[in-house]
Parts: sequence; C-alpha cells; structure tokens
Amino acid sequence: MTRTIHLNLDINGRAHALDVEPRVTLLDALRDHLQMTGTKKGCDQGQCGACTCHVDGRRVLSCLTLAAQVEGRQVNTIEGIAGEDGTLHAVQAAFLEHDAFQCGYCTPGQIMSAVACIREGHAGSDAEIREYMSGNLCRCGAYNSIVAAVREAAEAVNTPVRETAEVA
Amino acid sequence: MTIMVPRKHGDASDGMVGGRLSRFEGNLKVTGAATYALEYPTEGVVHAVLVQSTIAAGKVVAVDISRASAMPGVLLVLTPEDDLGLRAAGDWAGTAPKDEAYYPLPRNVQFNGQSIAAVIAESREQAAEAARLITVSYEETASVKDLEDPAAGEGKMMGNLTVGWGDAEAALAASDVTIEAEYRTPREYHVAMEPHGLIARWEGDQLTIWEPSQWSHGMARMYAEWFSLPLENVRIISPFIGGGFGSKGQPLAFGAVAVAAAKKLGRPVKLAVTRPQNFTSYGGRAATRQKIALGATKDGILQAIVHRGYSETSVYADYAEQTGAATPVLYKVENYSSEHRIVPVNTVTPGALRGPGKNPSSYGIESAMEELAYALGMDPLELRLKNYADHDYQSGKPWSTRRLREALTEGAAAFGWEKRSHEPRSMRDGNTLIGWGIGCGTFPVIRAPSEAMIRILKNGRVEVVSGSIDMGQGTYTILAQTASEALGVPVDQIDVLLGDSRLPGSAIAGGSMLAGSITGAVHKTAVAARDELIGLALSEAGSPFRDTGANTLSLAAGRVSLPRDDGPSLSLAELMTALGRDTLEIRRNTLSDDAQTAEDQRRAWTTMAKVMGPTMGEFSMHSWCAHFAEVRVDEDFGTVRVSRMVSAFDCGRLYNPKMVESQWRGGIIMGVGQALLEEGIVDARNGRTINNNVGDYLVPTNSDIPDLQVISVGVPDLNASALGGKGVGEVGIVGVAPAIANAVFHATGKRVRDLPITLEKLI
Repeated sequence: MTRTIHLNLDINGRAHALDVEPRVTLLDALRDHLQMTGTKKGCDQGQCGACTCHVDGRRVLSCLTLAAQVEGRQVNTIEGIAGEDGTLHAVQAAFLEHDAFQCGYCTPGQIMSAVACIREGHAGSDAEIREYMSGNLCRCGAYNSIVAAVREAAEAVNTPVRETAEVA
Repeated sequence: MTIMVPRKHGDASDGMVGGRLSRFEGNLKVTGAATYALEYPTEGVVHAVLVQSTIAAGKVVAVDISRASAMPGVLLVLTPEDDLGLRAAGDWAGTAPKDEAYYPLPRNVQFNGQSIAAVIAESREQAAEAARLITVSYEETASVKDLEDPAAGEGKMMGNLTVGWGDAEAALAASDVTIEAEYRTPREYHVAMEPHGLIARWEGDQLTIWEPSQWSHGMARMYAEWFSLPLENVRIISPFIGGGFGSKGQPLAFGAVAVAAAKKLGRPVKLAVTRPQNFTSYGGRAATRQKIALGATKDGILQAIVHRGYSETSVYADYAEQTGAATPVLYKVENYSSEHRIVPVNTVTPGALRGPGKNPSSYGIESAMEELAYALGMDPLELRLKNYADHDYQSGKPWSTRRLREALTEGAAAFGWEKRSHEPRSMRDGNTLIGWGIGCGTFPVIRAPSEAMIRILKNGRVEVVSGSIDMGQGTYTILAQTASEALGVPVDQIDVLLGDSRLPGSAIAGGSMLAGSITGAVHKTAVAARDELIGLALSEAGSPFRDTGANTLSLAAGRVSLPRDDGPSLSLAELMTALGRDTLEIRRNTLSDDAQTAEDQRRAWTTMAKVMGPTMGEFSMHSWCAHFAEVRVDEDFGTVRVSRMVSAFDCGRLYNPKMVESQWRGGIIMGVGQALLEEGIVDARNGRTINNNVGDYLVPTNSDIPDLQVISVGVPDLNASALGGKGVGEVGIVGVAPAIANAVFHATGKRVRDLPITLEKLI
C-alpha cells in the first residue's frame, strides 16, 4: 500500500494541510495537491530553475525538496509576492516594464530568484546580476531584459534588510 | 479559454499598431496566474508515465508488466500488445490519411528513446515507480546511429530541392579565386522551458485536450483523424504555451497514448513527458553537412556557387533540413547549383526548429563568404556589399523590400566595424584574442488565410477572438493594438481570447507566418465591426444619431460622435444600450471570395493547403538581417565568450517594437547557443541521446549573454502583409552562428567548420 503522511505547510503566510506520499516533492505538492501552479516544472531534476521558491527566505529548487522537508518552515511562492491588494512587487513590475519574459514559463522562477538575488546583495552590477541569475534558464532569451529589470528593481528597493522583512 | 485584461503602461499611443505597449497578458505571467496545459484542475485525473526503448532498432518480443501491474495505484499498463484502435492521420499539408492503423506504442523499434509502453496510475509517483519495473525483451536488428556511422549510406536525393541556373561548375573552374569547404552542424534541440505533455478528457464522444499547441486547429484535426471522430468533437485548449520554437505544432505519439488511455479508463489522463523523454519524443534540428565551393574574380565579384548538402532523417519519414535554403538568395550570382540529400538514421524524425533550413544554410554560405574574403584579402563587409543581390536570382522576381544593404551598413556603423584590423590574431587585450565577424540571415515571408471575430458587448468592452496562439511572440498584445487602432477603442477596453480550436481559424504560429496573417484578419474584422456599428447607429430606432442627418460617424477613444463634433457623443456601452443590443458580433476571414465554402474553411484552418510561399506573387519577399559579433578568446584555454553583438534587421513594419526586440534577442541568444554550446551527442553503441537533459545539453544562461543591440532598418512592406510587417521570430537566429564562427577565426586564425565551437577545437 502507498503510505501517506499528513503535513502542515506554511505557504505565503497561510497554513495548508495535506496528505501526501512521503516522496512527493514540494513542487508537486504545490502544483498537484494545492493547485498553486505558479511554480513551474521545467526539468524536475534541479537544472533549470523554473521551480525556484523561497524557504525561510532563501531560494531553493522545489523539485529537489521534499514537501516533508519544509514542514515548520516558511515557504514563499510566486503567488505570495504581490501585495494583498494586487499591487505588484517591484521585481514583478520591472519584469513587465522591461519585457523580461516571453512565454512566461520560466518567469515565476526568475522572479523568485531575482527577489532573493537583490536581498542577498548580489545585484550590485550587471555582471553580478548575470552571474547570480544564471541558475534560471530562459529559452526565449529574455536575459538582457531580466538584467535590466533586476537592476531597476534593486534600485527601487532601498535596503536589502528591509526587503527581507517585507517578503519573508 | 482565458480572458486577458491589459495592463497599461506609457502613453496612449502605446495602444496603436507600432506602439511599445507592454505585454498584454504580462500581469498573469508575472504573478503565476497564467495557466499552462498541465495546470488545469480536472476532477478524477490519473497520471500516465511513458516507457521508452533502449535499443536503436529491432522488435519488442515481450513486455513483462507483472511487477508494474501489481504496484499500488496502477490502473492500466499499455504495451505493443494493446490495439488502441487508432487510424493514421493526414500530414500538415492536408494529404488524405492513409487507410491504415496507427500504433503509438509500436512493436517495431525505430530509434532509441521511442515510446513503447505506458503506465497509468492514481498518482504520478506511483506511475513513475511502476514504469521502472517494466522489463522489455527485444530482438535487436542492425541500425544506423548517426551520420558518422559507417553504415549511413548516401541517402536519397531530394529532387525538389535541386536548384540551378547558369553553369556553376564551368564558372567555378574559370574563376580567379576559389574556396571549397565542408560545414557541419550537429543535432540541436528546442528545449522549450515547458516540457511537452497533455491532459485528455472524454465526455461521451467529446474529447477535450489541454496541450501546448502552436496550431490548435491543425492539431485538433489530426487527433480527430487518429480517433475517427468528427473534427467538431475535438477541442484543443492552449491559451498559454511555455515556448515551442517549432516543437508544438502537431500531436505526437504520447498524445495518442494519453487520449487512448483516457478512453479505456473513462477518466481524464495527465501525461507529463519528462525532460529526458523530451529529447526523443519529437525531433529537434537534424544534423547537417554541406560542401560549398565559391568562385570569384580577383576583385571579389562572385562567379559561381556550388552547394552539396545532406541532413539526417529518420528511417520512417523523410524530413529535409534544407542546407541550401539561404544559399541562393543572399548574393548576386549568375551561376548556381545546389543539391540536398537526406540520409536515414535511427532517430526520431527531425523537425522544425527556429529558422529551419535557413539557419544551417546560412552557417554554410556565410562562413564560406568570409573564407572567400580572406582568400581575396578583402574586408568581409565590402565583399558582401559588392555582391549585393539586386533581385532574386532564383525566382527571377524583384524583391518586395530588401534593406539588407542598410542592415549591413547601419549595423557596421553601430558596431564600429571601420576600426577592425583585417588580419587574424591582430586584435587583442592582454591574453585575450579579440575577433569580429559578420553573418547575414534571411527568412521567407509565408502567409496563410486566417479568420477573426470581434464582439462588442453591452458593457462597452470589445473582445477580439481568434484560435491563434501566443507562445511568447506577443499575439495577445498586437491583436489588441490592431483592434484598438482599427476600431478607435482604447486598448484597455479590449479583451483578447486565444488558444482554443473552437475559436475562429488561424495560421499556424510557425514559419513566422502568424503575426502578418492574423493581424490582417483582425484588422479586416475590426474595420467591418466599426462600419457595422456606425451603420446601426445611423439607422436604428433608439439611436440619437438617427435623425442628425449625418451620413457617417466618428469612433475615437471609445466614443461615437458626429464627425463635426457638435452633437451627441456616446460611449460604446451607451450606444449599445440605445441600440438595445446585448452584443454585436462580426466574423471575417481573409480567404478569397471564391473559397468560402465550409470545406474551403476546414482545409484553410486545419491544413497547410492554403499557405502561400515567398515567391507566389509578383515579388520575392523575405525578412533580412546582418549580425556583427565580437568574441573574446582566451589564448591559452580556448574559451570563447561573445562580448557584444549588434544586429540590424529588415522585418518591415514592427507591430510592437518592444515585443519584436525581445524576439530578435531571443533568436540571437539561441544562435549563441548553437555556435558555442549546443550539440546532441549520440552513443555510438546504441543510438541513445546521451546528454538528454539541460545539465548536459547546454543552452545559454544569463551569464553567457552580453548586451545585444538590435536595430530596425525595415520599411513597411504592404505586399508581405496587410499591415506591412514581415516575420520576426525565425530570422533572428539565422546568421548568428556564422557571425560568431567568423569572429572566432578573426580572433584565432582557426576556422571551425563544425558546430559548436568548443575549446578543444581551438587549442
């Protein structure tokens, strides 16, 4: 028999209870069990970055993270980045303004990486942004615009410390 | 079906055609609310996982499913033993299907990685685990692993691709200066970030499929033929596509498996093709080889081009990656000869990947032209301008528009080409060799009839409705702009509905033919809707305009007014109320008047039968570009970095420059990958694609890509499309790889004639 475990997950500040097999990844828990499909599956083997989420404020690949591992921790996904009233996060607004995406499939992962990249203090120059955004593949090739968007969003966010408090 | 609500940025002029409106559906994409195929909630859905062959050729003797079937949650295992009852489907062109059965899980294995079984279980994890427990016995037969396999034969001459004029061999022999070389490109893959997959649901004899689709109507037709259903019983839903690049234009074997499983089980089936399985579930770009000989006078006037190319295909279908596609149209040449063969190997049939044909073709001719420039001791820019084609020598027709000269000169100016020192290895920065190179590109203007619907609603909102798709090119955005301009309604009053085979028919989003075709249909429909609305406003009882004596009205900024602006002025909602109408629905297409029967329309929307090529009219019509690349090569380690690029394009009028620039850059970046990184590697022992994942098949990352400057030098081309645009999506990649290869030669003095240019080829 397939065994299930009961999990209580804190996602975007809300409690979610679910029963899943122990082998279910955070990515599949979000997409298939919680209908939070904003987090994308591009490779399911930790190579493309499309599934990037934040766990306790740090970027993780949710395809390589078991759902069971994040119980008791704070998970943030693309669905929780904008304000309650729908106001876009500075990174989201900059992505839109700079056309930093085409098909949109890698975009949630790019945005989650960008928010963390800025918070980590790795958005100091274009070269640094390129390096620290290189874990997120974009086959449509929006890289120039992603760099521009992250640069602009980093300028909009006053200090990295305050940003951490807002998002996490 | 998803209704898009625009997000307004910038000033009002953004809403017009040619404005830089931000991506219409962008809000949904940056918030994670855009819903891709596998994300549709479906009650009672079960999960299918594919099992692929591990030999290159042979016969499945037995499939042991006993352990898999006994696993928890497993509902069904399909193998070659199961007759799924499918019939062959017709091809893209609309050729009638052969009267034969179709086996998506075949007994005869024709390539390594072919789907031969599937497990369907309550959860994906259960299905994946059970799939690993299936054991297959094969009777292996001889196979051809790739073009390097000694067993690969001469293949088959594609007579339709033989092109010639003048006497190329004689002119070559009589030329003062000649060069000859062979150029090679490997297998390349689409690697769209959204892997393939689908959800299939039956309700009685009605079939709904959520699957990323570049062509919802064509795919619906092919599914209908497989399952012997009337076309109207099949619905493909695909409002968002996570990248296609040519890979999502037709249903594939796994789709048939999922639909058949859903039918057998009476439950919806979700099938996610894993990333590794994506490498063999459909074909990427075929490996190519081409030999090019050029002859010229001492002062660099091209006398002859002799081109002999071949590409791999599968052992069960003919697919030609046309190495001679760009060769005849780039330069003025009086003597030309080209042939192309296809060589069957045990691979999945290759397919169209961004810039099919033109792309490897341009790598050949544009590398050869620079080799000729060095043989002549001439600046490669000068050589290209000197041999500028005044018309299309292949068709004999005049160009509709061809601003390739401006692309070369304006691109060169922006790049600073005049500062180049000609000798290889003559530019350096410390230990880094610097090289500059040019590559020209082209892609034909292809057109297809399309249909559109405009609905004006009682609340004053306007819906633009089309079965066309948006995989990131900007269809939502440019259709909103087109309707806004033609109707005189602000873009934020417009909704755009796309990506559903039940909606009006459309050209495929492929061959760079969608934007020009569908904007034409929407423009025609919007003009008709405006005329209809004004006609009603002037004639219907209840309309305040009826007795004004006016014979026309103005519709601007969403308000209907008298042209002299001194009478009533109503918003669309007010006018609809006055007219007592709930909706005003106008549907138009761009088929000719004598081809409007139901059968004409079915063929137009679901096949390629009505597609028009670049020389079918009076003119020869193409997009053009010139890429200028700078590379920096570490002298000791042979590592190549593209440090900057300038690319100038003639794509006619740009419907939305912001979106166009994104597509151009996207094509260029894929070209950087092609030049330096991308190569499908085949195991010579068993034909397996070794690097079937994105950690081993390398595509460019953010840090691989410098700032890319893109310039438009085009002018509106009203022969090419109703609104004056030419295709932008394919042409961007064409010419990038040779620009980089030429820059690498300039930097290092080493001519790499087989892509990708990896460090072991330079040290």
